[in-house]
Amino acid sequence: MNLAVLCSTMRVQMKQSFARPMFRFCLIANPILNTILLYEMYRSAGEENFMAYVVLGAGLMGLWGCICFSSAGDINRERYSGTLALIFATPASFPGIILGKIIGNTLISLLTLGISLLTAVVLYQVPLTLGSPLYFLLALLAAVLSFVVISSMVACLLTLSRKTELYMNCIEIPINLLCGFAFPVSVLPGAVRGISRALSPTYAVELLRMSVWGVNDLAAFWNKLGILLGLTALYAVLSGLLYRRIDRRVRIAATLEVA
Amino acid sequence: MIRRFFEQAQLYHKGRRAAFSGEEFALMQVGYPLVTLIFYCLIASYSFKTSNLTSWVIGNAFLLCTDACVFSLGNAFRGERYTGRLRSIIASPGTKLPLILANGLYPALFAVVASVCGFLVGSLVFGVDFSGVHLGLAALTILCGMASATCFGLFLSVFGLMNDSMHLVLNVVSYLLILFTGAEFPVSQLPLAGRVIAQMMPLTKSIAAMNSLFSLERGIFWTLIMAELATGAAYALLARFLFGFAERCARRNGQFDLF
Repeated sequence: MNLAVLCSTMRVQMKQSFARPMFRFCLIANPILNTILLYEMYRSAGEENFMAYVVLGAGLMGLWGCICFSSAGDINRERYSGTLALIFATPASFPGIILGKIIGNTLISLLTLGISLLTAVVLYQVPLTLGSPLYFLLALLAAVLSFVVISSMVACLLTLSRKTELYMNCIEIPINLLCGFAFPVSVLPGAVRGISRALSPTYAVELLRMSVWGVNDLAAFWNKLGILLGLTALYAVLSGLLYRRIDRRVRIAATLEVA
Repeated sequence: MIRRFFEQAQLYHKGRRAAFSGEEFALMQVGYPLVTLIFYCLIASYSFKTSNLTSWVIGNAFLLCTDACVFSLGNAFRGERYTGRLRSIIASPGTKLPLILANGLYPALFAVVASVCGFLVGSLVFGVDFSGVHLGLAALTILCGMASATCFGLFLSVFGLMNDSMHLVLNVVSYLLILFTGAEFPVSQLPLAGRVIAQMMPLTKSIAAMNSLFSLERGIFWTLIMAELATGAAYALLARFLFGFAERCARRNGQFDLF
């Protein structure tokens, strides 16, 4: 994989994404509005540290929104603008270009966490504390890696459909709900918790929350981190297999269009 | 005239659902909004630390119309531009009001269905108790709320002639409905300016009226219903006025867009 191609794809993708009004909504307006909503809902809950559910919740909901409405639909967007065949046939690897797009999107989407934090501080002057900054950084890196791999898998799956827009809209709230972005997954019924446990963002959120409160149980932290990385690796393998399958199908059918 | 109105409404509906199968359309109009209702009710149950979620089920059941009334209707003129009918509509000597209303007929019906489903799911999942609630008045409240939200959607749709970022506008508006209608937290929590905005939004009075039915305090019920209808009528008039303005500008400038 060519690093120069990866970096230039990231740069172009960031510029292209920011040019779209829907992405600007997800990146800027969504975290601000979600922070206001979650703060108003949590202010009478007796919660003293608003970082765990308000700032992180709103930031992660924004981040996932950006992934849903950008990374997930990027291949389809290329198809719509007629550039998919060019990207596919270029000597630089197709998965490398898609990965560059997804990393670019995910990095710019991390702004949602900062915007959410800024909104909470500027509008409400709420007490925000970060118990274990180093563990938070580690958890954030693992979370970013996990989101990049998930985006890649979702982008692959949505390549196979003409109705990307429908599915993009329909995956946002269910993941917010199942992964406990705005409340702990223990609130969910037992059967639903099983699904939550199969999704890597659930562990990413729990790790981030643990480090916000301060990591007291190191074994639990490393355990969750191990599961998160394991699931991420599994998703990466699945994503790789999907790309190979799509590649094979495209070569046999000699078309990048879906049926 | 009446036959043409219903034919037009049917055509608009066909246009909106043509790309989807029956199941996908049902998922989009009812399934996804119901997941959204469950998501917000779960946040409320955790943040407000309560198992009595009646008020949130009511608020979110009313907000289920957002997809139909805000997104479907709000994109009406954007859709007309996209399909190339805008020229015929603007240049036609006939009155535009039946056309605008025909556009809103099916979304309003789906909004009512989604809202009723929201109450049913609320009753089944969150144990909302309907005993003692006057069902006729509850149905009237839903109808008034949806009529008002439909008029609001028509008002928003005219902005499609004034800017090219309707996705951004409609998404922000959908959040404003969540924040200012009292669906997720009491309107009294908002600052004075926020409380004034809340009274100008559709659905605020319907939600309050439905809450008054559930709390068996019907003293202000009819006042709230009349206020909701007045809000809807104001938005319908504003939509007509704005559309007339856009139409005059289009004829004067020789172009269909005001941006």
